[in-house]
Amino acid sequence: MDDDQSAEELITESLEAVIGRNPYEQKRVNQWVSSVVEQCLGQLSKLSKPFKYIVTCIIMQKNGAGLQSASSCFWDNTTDGSCTVRWENKHLYCIVSVFGLAI
Amino acid sequence: MEEYHSGDEVAFSPDDASNVVKELCLCVFIGQCIEGIVGGVDYSQNKVNQWTASIVEHTLTQLVKQGKPFKYIVNCAVMQKSGAGLHTANSCYWDTTTDGSCTVRWENRTMYCVVSVFAVAIAL
Repeated sequence: MDDDQSAEELITESLEAVIGRNPYEQKRVNQWVSSVVEQCLGQLSKLSKPFKYIVTCIIMQKNGAGLQSASSCFWDNTTDGSCTVRWENKHLYCIVSVFGLAI
Repeated sequence: MEEYHSGDEVAFSPDDASNVVKELCLCVFIGQCIEGIVGGVDYSQNKVNQWTASIVEHTLTQLVKQGKPFKYIVNCAVMQKSGAGLHTANSCYWDTTTDGSCTVRWENRTMYCVVSVFAVAIAL
């Protein structure tokens, strides 16, 4: 869907802008997760669509640990939807999910 | 809006939103749900997929059984303990008077589990 495509691009752009090629840094990662979710939310609300949004972001350092994430939603399938982007650089993994619920 | 708020259990003040979500015994049964599924077991790559799916499904089922006029999103992340750093954040653009969330962080010897529940009121 067009909406899903632009949500995905929006998320990827935020990640590239906030984290880019930076290595995992314990002192900065807190700032990064916050910036990523805020930037995504800001861009989404600028679209001025009649939706409520929830954005979640997980950043994990690459060191061989396993990470699994799942979501389940109870909503209106005809109007609500989500988009999840799995992104990585050389030093960290990032999973960003956006949920849009029609008002 | 006034008649929507007065005596109507579906509308909450900003401070009460997360309290009410908790009043649904959310944190308690999320914790119980996680314990029931992964309590006492070691992280297993083969099973983790099943575990996260079960946790979100069970939690969602319990929420829906409450019969409240909300849409729900349940998110679960399970990470193996190996010294790696993990950070999570959520941001929501919604009606702070009626919507709320609750996040539970759980761990055992071999893994961390973070479950977030978001409840968005349905306009009646």
